[in-house]
Amino acid sequence: MSAALDVLVEPLASPGVMAAKLWLPFGSACDATDQRGAHDLLASLLSRGCGPYNPKELADVVEGCGAGLRCDAQEDGLLLSLRSTMDDAEQLLPLLGWMVLEPHLAPDQVALEKSLTLQMLQRQREDPFHIAAVAWRQLAFSDGGYGHDPMGVESDLQTIERQQILPLAQRLPTGRSVLSLAGCLPEHIENRILAMDGFRAWPETTGGSSACRPKYGTSAAETIRLEPIDTEQVVLMLGQATVPHGHPDDLVLRLLQCHLGVGMSSLLFRRLREEHGVAYEVAVHYPQLMGPAPFVLLASTGIERAELSLRLLLQSWEELCQTTLSQADLTLARAKFIGQMAQARQTCSQRAERRAQLRAMGLRDDYDQSCMDAIKAITVEHIQETCQRWFKQPQLSLCGPPSSLKRLERIWAERHQ
Amino acid sequence: MPDAPLTCLDFWCQAGSSSERPGEEGIAHFLEHMVFKGSGRLAAGAFDLAIEALGGSSNAATGFDDVHFHVLIPPDRAAEALDLLLELVLQPALEPQGFATERDVVLEEIAQYADQPTEQVLQSILSLGCGDHAYGRPILGTASALNAMDPSLMRRFHNRRYFGPNCTLALAGPAPETLKPAIAASALADLPGDRTNSSSHHPLRFHAGRHTQQIDRLESARILMLWLTAPAHNQEAVMGADLATTLLGEGRRSRLVERLREELQLVESISMDLTALEQGSLITLEVICPEDDLPAVEQEISAVLHQAANEAVSEQELRRGCQLVSNSLRYAMESVGHVSGLCASHVLWHRNQDLLNPLSHLSHWSADRLQSDLFPELLPEKACVLIARPGANQ
Repeated sequence: MSAALDVLVEPLASPGVMAAKLWLPFGSACDATDQRGAHDLLASLLSRGCGPYNPKELADVVEGCGAGLRCDAQEDGLLLSLRSTMDDAEQLLPLLGWMVLEPHLAPDQVALEKSLTLQMLQRQREDPFHIAAVAWRQLAFSDGGYGHDPMGVESDLQTIERQQILPLAQRLPTGRSVLSLAGCLPEHIENRILAMDGFRAWPETTGGSSACRPKYGTSAAETIRLEPIDTEQVVLMLGQATVPHGHPDDLVLRLLQCHLGVGMSSLLFRRLREEHGVAYEVAVHYPQLMGPAPFVLLASTGIERAELSLRLLLQSWEELCQTTLSQADLTLARAKFIGQMAQARQTCSQRAERRAQLRAMGLRDDYDQSCMDAIKAITVEHIQETCQRWFKQPQLSLCGPPSSLKRLERIWAERHQ
Repeated sequence: MPDAPLTCLDFWCQAGSSSERPGEEGIAHFLEHMVFKGSGRLAAGAFDLAIEALGGSSNAATGFDDVHFHVLIPPDRAAEALDLLLELVLQPALEPQGFATERDVVLEEIAQYADQPTEQVLQSILSLGCGDHAYGRPILGTASALNAMDPSLMRRFHNRRYFGPNCTLALAGPAPETLKPAIAASALADLPGDRTNSSSHHPLRFHAGRHTQQIDRLESARILMLWLTAPAHNQEAVMGADLATTLLGEGRRSRLVERLREELQLVESISMDLTALEQGSLITLEVICPEDDLPAVEQEISAVLHQAANEAVSEQELRRGCQLVSNSLRYAMESVGHVSGLCASHVLWHRNQDLLNPLSHLSHWSADRLQSDLFPELLPEKACVLIARPGANQ
């Protein structure tokens, strides 16, 4: 048994504003296999009426203060976000409590949010990057918790009704939640917050048995997915599911992300953009997750140059297991890692979210500080061993014109011969 | 944990796409790319390597009016970064091999945009509303124009635009003692002064009207409306327009969102946006809805806009709008990148002032004045309207 709501406070000099983040350990990875999108729908409903406020009154209070209030479903949890001026904080903070403890979930609002989400899902098909990303998830996680976009899947969402949402809402306060505040804050707010209306009924201890223990998913039998659409470019995503944030190998992969994909000095940028001019967008996607996080190289490229782009991506991937980085590359990756950390701590919102995230993941408050020291001890041999551990079975998703995908599929097949 | 303050160096120049001449369409943005391909002193990639090795990062963006290049850097390395940034921006090598490769990258960028139907629709309405004015042309240019360019054309564009009075350097975040003398001794001091051949803009003639297009790979229909309003230097009018668009289209209690999305549930999303521009600011209304609902949506938008023109908004609504406008500026002050950008653009366009000063104009906008002066300008009849339906491109 442990305290159900951790409150973290970080006073910061800011232009009179503050940010609050409330993290609840129930995300889209907890969606039932035939109800993919249920937690996202729940998230969108929390700001549509709670405690003493109907939807209109709630919007009035928030917008009347020029504040921002939202709730998003991520893979690992729901994140409620509030930003306001310091003067409005006392009036608005209780909303976060009410959203969790007393959401109204009125039938008309459920119907509205469901319809809006269905329309958004349909519209996302306009974006080739999104299509490729969804396909890659399915390759890497099949029907597991990470196998779908948090927003859900159209056919499942069609069948989700209010009665499926209610039990999900009821268990929201029962997990180990974290409330993190940063910025210009009212004095001694940390001592008063649990006594505020809205938070007073928060359970003192966690329910234990109600915790969500998601199955993140296992990789599909096939290694390639093709999504034919009539576009000018092909989107390529090459990668593998790896490790949770904070895993002993995670820091090595973060350095690799810096080496491969951060900034204009990165390997992918230099190789695909500067040397060959085959792509505008290149990136490495490696989100910080509680489960096996995707480590994915991404590029989008015109069809006549797509074969070269794929070969360059494959080369970049395979080199990691076959050769060691140079010392100069490692030194540069370390510098970028430290720079990234500084850039991720610019606003109250970023600071509050990071603290909540660390606490939610069971990592120490000084985790980031300890990483700055730990990267000094990482060697190029250590990096190569880690790559050999995690980069042996990459999977590829492609979205673009059908004729181009066929050619790329052959290149992929040759590689396995 | 270090509190990790970063210094932002932000170089702005009046060299956006509106300073392009015939045959140069897209060159302002292409030059922004070429700047990072090296200078007389720095080989291609040397700048990025140096900045990123110091734990910094850099980026750039080209707009209609201006272009800017910024560097985020630990304060104790800011003087070095300044030297490198100015070298890069003011002395670009524009070397032919790099020119050809980077043109391919820009062509990929154009293709990437072409694959996003939302961007297509937005570009369409700008072209329809602003005609052959620069604001109606894609900043990225076209493949044919880019393919016809050579480094000497770009050199001439650079010489024509990147000189003293056209440039501003802003700095936000911690500034070590050494930085001031470094700025004084920098290449900025050597920038040539005024030149007579600065470009003469042809005036923006706005085309109101109603158009329908079919756009391939569009999944939901769109209605876009575009209005021309006061230029950026008329700050009081621009703040009024900001307030008006907020009252109409920001948040669930705004007129359009409340009526069309919350009550009638006709649209997936409806939003309004103001882009302050030197030759006339632009207001856009973007609606996403099912194709079948297009007629009802258009009718309701018209009703809401006419109502705003016919009766004054309540005091409570006005307060809400002012709060939203004020706070969004305050939130922007949190990041050094935003602060340096705001400072630079004020100075670049001769509007030196405190950053929160634009808010002082809000008090001049009463409910009555909004009703008499502003909302009547935001009627559908005065807009360029584009109805975009899913379907094969026409």
